[in-house]
Amino acid sequence: MMPRRPAHNLEVAETLREALANLRAQGRRSALALLGILIGTASIVAMLNIGHIAQLETSKLFSHLGADMVQLRAMPTGAAPAALDRELIEQLPARDPDVAWSLPLATGRAQVAFGSQRHDMLIVAITPALPRLAGLHLERGRSIAAIDQCAMVAVAGAEAATQLSSPGNQLMPTGKVAIGDYVYSVIGTLRPSFAEALSPGDYNKALLIPLDCARRVLGSSAPTTAMVRLRPGADAEKAGARLSGMLANASSSIEVISARQLIKTMNEQKAVHTSMLAAIGGISLLVGGIGVMNVMLMSVMERRSEIGLRAAIGATPRDLQLMFTVEAGVLALAGGVAGTLIGVLIAWIMAQYSGWTFDLAFYVLPLGSGMAAIVGLVFGLYPAITAARLHPIEALRAD
Amino acid sequence: MLRLNHVQKAYGTPEQPIPVLHDISIDVADGEFCAILGPSGSGKSTLLNIIGVLDHPDAGEIELGGVPIDFGSATEAARLRNQLLGFVFQSFQLLPRLTAWENVALPLLYRGTPRPERKPRALAMLDRLGLGERVHHLPAELSGGQRQRVALARALIGDPKLVLADEPTGSLDSVTAAEVLQLLRQLNRDFGVTLLMVTHDRGLAEACDRSIEILDGRVVSDVRRDG
Repeated sequence: MMPRRPAHNLEVAETLREALANLRAQGRRSALALLGILIGTASIVAMLNIGHIAQLETSKLFSHLGADMVQLRAMPTGAAPAALDRELIEQLPARDPDVAWSLPLATGRAQVAFGSQRHDMLIVAITPALPRLAGLHLERGRSIAAIDQCAMVAVAGAEAATQLSSPGNQLMPTGKVAIGDYVYSVIGTLRPSFAEALSPGDYNKALLIPLDCARRVLGSSAPTTAMVRLRPGADAEKAGARLSGMLANASSSIEVISARQLIKTMNEQKAVHTSMLAAIGGISLLVGGIGVMNVMLMSVMERRSEIGLRAAIGATPRDLQLMFTVEAGVLALAGGVAGTLIGVLIAWIMAQYSGWTFDLAFYVLPLGSGMAAIVGLVFGLYPAITAARLHPIEALRAD
Repeated sequence: MLRLNHVQKAYGTPEQPIPVLHDISIDVADGEFCAILGPSGSGKSTLLNIIGVLDHPDAGEIELGGVPIDFGSATEAARLRNQLLGFVFQSFQLLPRLTAWENVALPLLYRGTPRPERKPRALAMLDRLGLGERVHHLPAELSGGQRQRVALARALIGDPKLVLADEPTGSLDSVTAAEVLQLLRQLNRDFGVTLLMVTHDRGLAEACDRSIEILDGRVVSDVRRDG
């Protein structure tokens, strides 16, 4: 009696070695099939990684102020400038259970002069609590404090300080700057900070002055904006409507911008982009898969006499099917690995181009290669079954 | 060793069968060097395919080494070919991108012999056939006679009960053909290999211990010579 053997008796390593040798022998054609898979994988991996980076960037936009921020901005209803009631803003935490804290501020632009430099700059009039709550850090000197009240002191943002400095005349604490018609003492400079979505302006480019007596440069000491932090779990939409009802007055209507709303809009846009890119990637991968199928079918047809020979000397149909399936899988996996690397590279280039910080989404590495391998196996199945079903005699005759 | 019992085979459609083999019964003893002689279209290749378990008969039985062959499963047929049979083809059928020894070792691959065992066995077999110097050459780098020796080594490596040769000298010039025939003869005598060779060449058939002539799917003569 004949010893029983398993239906296919080739070790995995053997099969892989054979597959690699066969693919090498096919050279250019293998490379072309690989290209389709490569493009598909690269676009999917790039898309996923860019999505990952974009998400990090989005969360950075809310990192200090948080997702529970609401900005209420006064819009003029008539000829009179828009203004909010400062006391009312400061009382909001006591008046509304949803409010954690609330800061009044005003923004405007003014001519700023220091030494030979003269620029039109953003002025943000603040109360002492703002720098800490907005995550601003001092480079030099001190920040605006309660004792400053109506004093003519200013804190310069990092870029503003650089812009006003000239060689040999650095803007530093105790320096004097002219804002409009008044001379302010610089008491501090800020470190560069990240411009968040709900900042009233880019603090880097601004001069901060006390809100008290801001009338000197902004024409009014009344705040134009309220920065409100809601308690976690509060309904931003309802609270926004309620607060704007409280703050609205004859001269101003209130525009509410909530962080949650912004995030939602961003996510919606992202979802559109993501599904579009996913569709493109999916289609390229499908085309790549068809390319693999095409190449494998041609390979089966061309190697009919080899298939016949292998069958004659003892290859079972499963051995033959496995051989071609593994070839397709290896081909697609190679395309997938190369595509993953290129996809990550594309994401890196896009991040550089957009000024984003590149971050590798580690899950894309196995995902990209794995998807490509699965595509190869699925599309390699039909050619492999074709090879396994060839009749050995006819295959041998095909010379 | 090999016993064919009333084997029949027809091609064509069930309505219009074209009979190729009519009721063939043959017995081949262990160690015989037997030729199947016939012109093209006589059915000799079909007979060889059936004996080689590459095709199935419509009726009749075949026993190989005392065991009736089950033609039902392609997997089982592949196992039988691998374990019991060796094939030599007219066109050699060497895989062009494998070296001589890798071609020879191929049947062992499908037997599940581990790689470290396959190589020395293939090298030894090539050495026995006088190709010890050519083991790392590709088929394209070998002469016709050398290629057929590689093919023979591949047929013999699995220690088959029966070697089937289909016009093994058909692609060779007369000098090389004589050499290969000499080699077959030698393998048959020295190693006791049972050989079944299909040919249309009467001279070649007469060099064998026995020649069975087939015409129109029937055995017309069966001649034994003393070797």
